[in-house]
Amino acid sequence: MKRETREYNLDWMLWSSVVSGSKVMDGTDKEYQALLRLIPNFRGIIDTILRQGEPGRLFMKMGAEYLDDIKAVHEKGKKLCFGTFVASKDLFYAFDNVVPAWAEILTVFATMMMRKGTAEYMDYCCEAGFTETSCSAQRGSVGAYLAGLAEKPDFLVCGAPGICDTNANAMQFMSEYLDIPLFQLTFPSNLTGRRITDYQRKDYRALIAFVEEHAGSRLDEDRLRSVLAEHRRQDEIINEIFDLTRLKPCPMPPIFNLFLYAGRLQSSGRKSLTALLESMLRVVRENAKAGRAGTVSGRERARLLMCYIDHYTTDGRFWQWVDSQDISLLPTLIFTFFNRGINYAEERQDQTYEIDTSTMDAMIDSLADINSRMPMVKQLRGPYDAAGMWREDLFCMTRLMKPDFAVYLGSMGCRNSYGVNKLIQRDAERFGLPTLLLFADAFDDRVASWEFCVEKISEFMHVRGIVS
Amino acid sequence: MIAAGCDVGSLTTKAVILNNARLLGHALVRSSFNPEKSASEVMEKALASARLTMDDISLCVGTGYGRERIGFVKKTVSEISCHAKGAHFLQPSIRTIIDIGGQDCKAIRLDAKGEIVKFITNDKCASGTGRFLEVMAKLLGLELGELGRISGQATHPITLASTCTVWAQAEVIMHLNEGMPKADLAAGINEAMAARVAILARSVGIEQDVCMTGGVAKNPGVVEAMEKQLGVPMRRLRLDPQLMGALGAAVFARERLGVS
Repeated sequence: MKRETREYNLDWMLWSSVVSGSKVMDGTDKEYQALLRLIPNFRGIIDTILRQGEPGRLFMKMGAEYLDDIKAVHEKGKKLCFGTFVASKDLFYAFDNVVPAWAEILTVFATMMMRKGTAEYMDYCCEAGFTETSCSAQRGSVGAYLAGLAEKPDFLVCGAPGICDTNANAMQFMSEYLDIPLFQLTFPSNLTGRRITDYQRKDYRALIAFVEEHAGSRLDEDRLRSVLAEHRRQDEIINEIFDLTRLKPCPMPPIFNLFLYAGRLQSSGRKSLTALLESMLRVVRENAKAGRAGTVSGRERARLLMCYIDHYTTDGRFWQWVDSQDISLLPTLIFTFFNRGINYAEERQDQTYEIDTSTMDAMIDSLADINSRMPMVKQLRGPYDAAGMWREDLFCMTRLMKPDFAVYLGSMGCRNSYGVNKLIQRDAERFGLPTLLLFADAFDDRVASWEFCVEKISEFMHVRGIVS
Repeated sequence: MIAAGCDVGSLTTKAVILNNARLLGHALVRSSFNPEKSASEVMEKALASARLTMDDISLCVGTGYGRERIGFVKKTVSEISCHAKGAHFLQPSIRTIIDIGGQDCKAIRLDAKGEIVKFITNDKCASGTGRFLEVMAKLLGLELGELGRISGQATHPITLASTCTVWAQAEVIMHLNEGMPKADLAAGINEAMAARVAILARSVGIEQDVCMTGGVAKNPGVVEAMEKQLGVPMRRLRLDPQLMGALGAAVFARERLGVS
């Protein structure tokens, strides 16, 4: 790792950039344009976000709130819980002295905003002992923690065993390397059924006991009720946005896709996310009413469903590109959430969660159910053709959202998806959905450059007659 | 009306000129660092071979890596579409195309109308591309063309364990040091190449007739090894397979001019 990379902590750098970014629109447009010139490495993504108006500003402010908590966690006398995005945030926000920091979210911020992305942190992980095919979404931030370039976590929580071996190994490695206590939620290979539900709820209670022990505080019932009520309200808004994205043209701006899942993964149950979602809904409703696409031009040339994850490398060029091509970006499949009212869960209610705030026990059961239906947890657990998994979700989304094509963008860093992506492609094509498999890494340009990805996606769109 | 196609590839640049369905001229040059210059150079040669000038060309379509940099083309089309178009134009019975270029390889499956049903391109590394053969030929002190010719003399072809081009080089050096005949080494190299590309080809589903396009299709050792790997004969096309992308581009230009 270069000396200059060691100069500042990762969490401090992200906090500094996002907090500054969240303020740039507070001045005049002239000042804004002048400020953009000062941030050459990430002005594209900042501009793409802030050009959305109020939702963009709220997204930045939500990010600033999140990163401020992480950067100043010990200064504020709180405990830092580090983990993977497949564990729901709601529980942690119900403790008044716990700050959750999820590896993938920090990696996404750093990938989009740092000049060379997170390459040096990724490589540091390999120097320390990770394999080179370990998940890059993890390595991108974990490297900084292993190198002591971030606030040291007080405890670790991982929701990956049974879902993702690389996630589970990364957290176990970090626990051993930094000597930090770790709790791992485990997942059976199926999603539904009494036995499964009971197992997951019992496991979740063990997690709560672990957090209480290491946070030195008790889970507060009133606070939990308030978080879950906020979560329920957020679900209602998300459900309406998802319904509106079915329209042709799709009224949701492409970057809102990021706002939706980043918001849910980072600030679920917090008021800042509710404010963002309400603002997004207003924009989507207005576009829908005007029959306008959410793209900058207001036109829709094609509808794209990313059937795994999006692409984040330097300056978030993915969103700028789809928008410039008048491509509507439908909700990314792996980041879907399964509340009872969401449209793609129709006739699959047994695969959904419901929030019950009547008693403490009911709330904990709800938390366990939410957690066991998190993105990736739901789609990639168990074997490929198990009920309720990736393929079924892809078909349901395709029927509902009517994408023109799908793209899988990934590498063997995600073995669970990479190992079956050819089956997904085969079945999607049989289903009538043109599907491109792209060997690339959403977080690491060194695997395949963004230019390579654009070339391949454009070629696919032309060859398959999606655009002329 | 006279149509042209220009294919600026990573290693070579090609041009084809058509008058209706008749081939008037073609040329191939080594690509330089300047795609525009390579395109102009090859087009001049193709025009000279057809005894034409640029003013005689009604429309030129560009393809290949450098297609966006060609000043004289009016339209660009992807290489996959061009190889499919060119092969179908020459031989309508073709259903599967294996194209091995300088820096990539592709497998393309067509329907009876010549429409692309499925395609796949290589990823991760360069071991199934023309560059792999170039590196190996240099290592053996052979011209690229000789690599194919001498492999027919092999009695005990080597087996290359490594997929990686650099590690495969190390293996070949080891065999060279052991005094292994070059023919056996060449045959092993061709077979390794075919084995690698066959995985890609099988993944689109092999349907006959099958042909190979691109520069590597001129290597009889690889073509024969591919036939063995896939268990199907390779249909030989009646034009230099390396020109297929440029031919397809010219056919696209011809169609755009309204010539069916």
